[in-house]
Amino acid sequence: MPGDPGGGASPAPAPPSGGAFDGVFTDANETARFLTQATFGPTPTDLVELPGSSASDWFRNELSKDITPHLNKIGEPEIRGASTMFWRTAVEADDQLRQRMVYALSQLLVVSDFGGEVLTDIPEAVGYYQDVLAQHAFGTYRELLEAVTYAPAMGYYLTYLGNERGDAATGRMPDENYAREILQLFSIGVLQLNPDGTPTLDVDGEPIELYDNADITGLARVFTGIDFTEATVFDPDDPGALEWTTPMTMYEAPHSPLEKRFLGLTIPAGTDGVTSLELALDHIAAHPNLAPFVSRQLIQRFVTSHPEPDYVARVATTFDAGTFELPDGAPVGSGRRGDLGATLAAILFDREARDSDARRAVGFGKLREPALRVTAWARACGVGNPSPEYVTPLIIAYDTSMLGQKPFAATSVFNFYRPGYVAPGTLSGSAGRTAPELQILNATSAFGYANVMTFLIFGGVRDDEYQQELRDEVFDLGGDEPLEFDADAAATAFLPNYDELETLASDPERMIDRLDALFTFGGLSVETRARILAVTNAVPAEFAELRVQRAILLLMTSVDFLVQK
Amino acid sequence: MNLNRRRWLQTSSRAALAAGIGGLSLSHRAQAMAEPGDYRALVCVFLLGGMDGHDLLLPYDQTNYDHWAGARSSMLGAYSGARDRGQLRVLAPDNASAFSGRQFALPPEMPNLQRLFQAGDAAFVGNVGPLVRPTTKAAFEAGTVPLPPRLFSHNDQQSTWMSSSPEGARFGWGGFFADSIAALNGSPVFTGITSGGNDLFLTGNQSFPFQIGLQGAASLGLLEEIAGAEIDLFREHFRPQADAATALLDQDVANALRNAFDANESYGAALASQSALQTGFPESYLGAQLRAVARTIAARDALNATRQVFIVSAGGFDTHSEQARALPGLLADIDAGIDAFQRALVELGLVDKVTLFTASEFGRTLAVNGDGTDHGWGGHQILVGGGVRGRVIHGDLPSPEFGHDQDAGSGRLIPTTAVEQLAAPLGAWLGLDGAQVSAALPNLASFGEGLSLHA
Repeated sequence: MPGDPGGGASPAPAPPSGGAFDGVFTDANETARFLTQATFGPTPTDLVELPGSSASDWFRNELSKDITPHLNKIGEPEIRGASTMFWRTAVEADDQLRQRMVYALSQLLVVSDFGGEVLTDIPEAVGYYQDVLAQHAFGTYRELLEAVTYAPAMGYYLTYLGNERGDAATGRMPDENYAREILQLFSIGVLQLNPDGTPTLDVDGEPIELYDNADITGLARVFTGIDFTEATVFDPDDPGALEWTTPMTMYEAPHSPLEKRFLGLTIPAGTDGVTSLELALDHIAAHPNLAPFVSRQLIQRFVTSHPEPDYVARVATTFDAGTFELPDGAPVGSGRRGDLGATLAAILFDREARDSDARRAVGFGKLREPALRVTAWARACGVGNPSPEYVTPLIIAYDTSMLGQKPFAATSVFNFYRPGYVAPGTLSGSAGRTAPELQILNATSAFGYANVMTFLIFGGVRDDEYQQELRDEVFDLGGDEPLEFDADAAATAFLPNYDELETLASDPERMIDRLDALFTFGGLSVETRARILAVTNAVPAEFAELRVQRAILLLMTSVDFLVQK
Repeated sequence: MNLNRRRWLQTSSRAALAAGIGGLSLSHRAQAMAEPGDYRALVCVFLLGGMDGHDLLLPYDQTNYDHWAGARSSMLGAYSGARDRGQLRVLAPDNASAFSGRQFALPPEMPNLQRLFQAGDAAFVGNVGPLVRPTTKAAFEAGTVPLPPRLFSHNDQQSTWMSSSPEGARFGWGGFFADSIAALNGSPVFTGITSGGNDLFLTGNQSFPFQIGLQGAASLGLLEEIAGAEIDLFREHFRPQADAATALLDQDVANALRNAFDANESYGAALASQSALQTGFPESYLGAQLRAVARTIAARDALNATRQVFIVSAGGFDTHSEQARALPGLLADIDAGIDAFQRALVELGLVDKVTLFTASEFGRTLAVNGDGTDHGWGGHQILVGGGVRGRVIHGDLPSPEFGHDQDAGSGRLIPTTAVEQLAAPLGAWLGLDGAQVSAALPNLASFGEGLSLHA
């Protein structure tokens, strides 16, 4: 939106001299900690190159990187499906900040190929959706909402694809699904919020609900008339997929001509569909809840499970202003409300995210998501061939006996866990603190994660029996049309490279120091260190690889690693 | 879960074994079998998404069938005849007279439920849902009666069904039931058991659900590879002690990991001490969960359990779209799953000792939105077990028309039975006394009596 009158950014000062230290990447530990929050995990190279350089430069550089596309990776359902191939992007994409934002947004604006139906069978649908999120990851939230609304995968997932105007004669009503979830989950929530994300209370001390079912039925009329873009449907050269990788179209004939009333807005009878949708999204995006609602959830995804209200308020202020001053003094962001690049900068460079005192606060931190534990390992341990299509535990990562979490494969639009989840029977719960990720930690998934990491860390794909089973499986899945099976890729998929670590294995203390920097940013506890040392020393020094494997497994199943602080 | 999913799962477990990460838990001597004695269990089958009661208990007398078919006319053609009156499975309830000439039927995809109903081993609870007070349409429309917060919202009404509060609730009535009965069990940790990840329902003041997997007990493959003195180091590592000097989450995670380790070990030993069930289960996700529940019940003596509450779940009921294509298959899964579970209970000799009931966050509109239905309020639920007062439709069934006294709009039913009235008799049957039931269901008193569900 060039020339948008909402832009209020002050003129940018002259950019600082390139690379000057701005106080963030003070050493390898602080660099690793920042990159754990901002990316899919630090690499050994990062920890050599970045300390002492400018984090502001790093951030600006990430904003300007080319987008890694998803659509060109995906293929056969179940093997190269959209959610499976996401692992590859996470591990190897250069635009790490953007892709990490994509993953965060995917947990707010949920679309999933878990269902085993159309979105599984036509993986391009979710692949296109991933690219839509990537395209808008640093744009405004208003534009993101519109792009998401016209994405066919969302139209299918929330059942408004082909949704028609009501019909008084038959009693047919517009589908209310999207109207409800775009408010409840994607934009403003259900309760009126203060700018710091806490619920506003009425005179009786009760939270205030923002809308009732009349608002939903009113808004539901807006989302009628949206369907596949006609010209794409019958393309003989690309049967099936093109309609799923092209924004849907608003058709006027099936669009409701009635008055649409919700949240205090009245769209007059007879307003056309495109205009109605614009007005409705403008109204939603202008709601005062949007900034705290989105800001708090994004903070949870990057930094801490129960952000202090002041932290939420600072980020929400940036969300509304659309601009943020980086540590080197230069502004970032378009100055337009809901600028997500500026918002992400505000989250990552906030003192709550960076200060060592804040880090030691009793309520700080988040249980690392299982998916992010895997990516942290793969990036720290030099996985050179991140081909998830040959790694069964990653294909079925959603299963509770595996990771209990697979990106873009949540079991429902409510994501893997709820942002407001307060874990019963826990200390954080007794303190009234939210901890979303605890919702998927249980007796099965705790062991599942340890077993999957054992498989990955010890290079389970090298096993002959595994390869034979995999080959048979892929062959069977192909039916009459054999699926591609690249035996070389399969035999090295997600294999780590421990060469550097093995050179340290003869001196376990040094090896553990190295792992501590990569995985726990110098936060490894005395007890865990002692246990890793004992288990490592029990292995004769000539088995360097086994020493490394054991040390990583113990570290990655320790509380020190599991709770990111 | 489709066929490919299951196949991958099989491959994966084989892969895990191949890589040395599978295998059984540490071996334990099988515990001595106690005499099969006093045992009772509740099994909640939570139907996620909002099951359409209008498409479960169908009107069968011609007049009301015609009303129903009229309301659903734009969708009926897509059922390929499966909702033609002649295809329906008519029910002959003992309390037919309570419905003054109205007749009801199940869809054709539920033959086993019809059989169980007629045999007196199954019943239905009509139009049950969350309420704060008994609610009339007039009071609803005038806004003169307190209502459950956030009606028609999935997560909030799931939470409300389980806990009487919207999302953010910390305790469910299944958990309070577990609090009351845990003392009867030698191992309280196995009082509340989930396979579907629904933690809220089974969380009480002391109780927390144990999560069971579908493939048997979870075990740490690595421990199979370790021998000698080292094993103590690894065990110590995998059952971390919480350090009070660390952050709250550190302590919470340490406690969760240690409890998981201990419970998995005991559960694995208990399952290993049992001979395999002979009863086959359907390959659906629901079938696999009910098989895991049946296996757990079979191991009740080894688990020192005499009173248990289970929850399993099935998804896909949010039929905004293509209901005629999607729902019959889901109903068939329920039918086949319940049938297998009942046959397993026959095998175990426990038919009278287990009560299974369905729940769902809401029913759906009678009105059609094109090819599906939208979020409603009250819904109809299934009750199965040798101990239940079967061949009865408990509660009420509003007429399949619009504008009647229980229609909150578009055929969203204002519940005539509160969730508490369904829950209270289940708790009493499980063995809670009146005070315990009241404590678990604090709003029960607003509705007077619970239903009379057990003989």
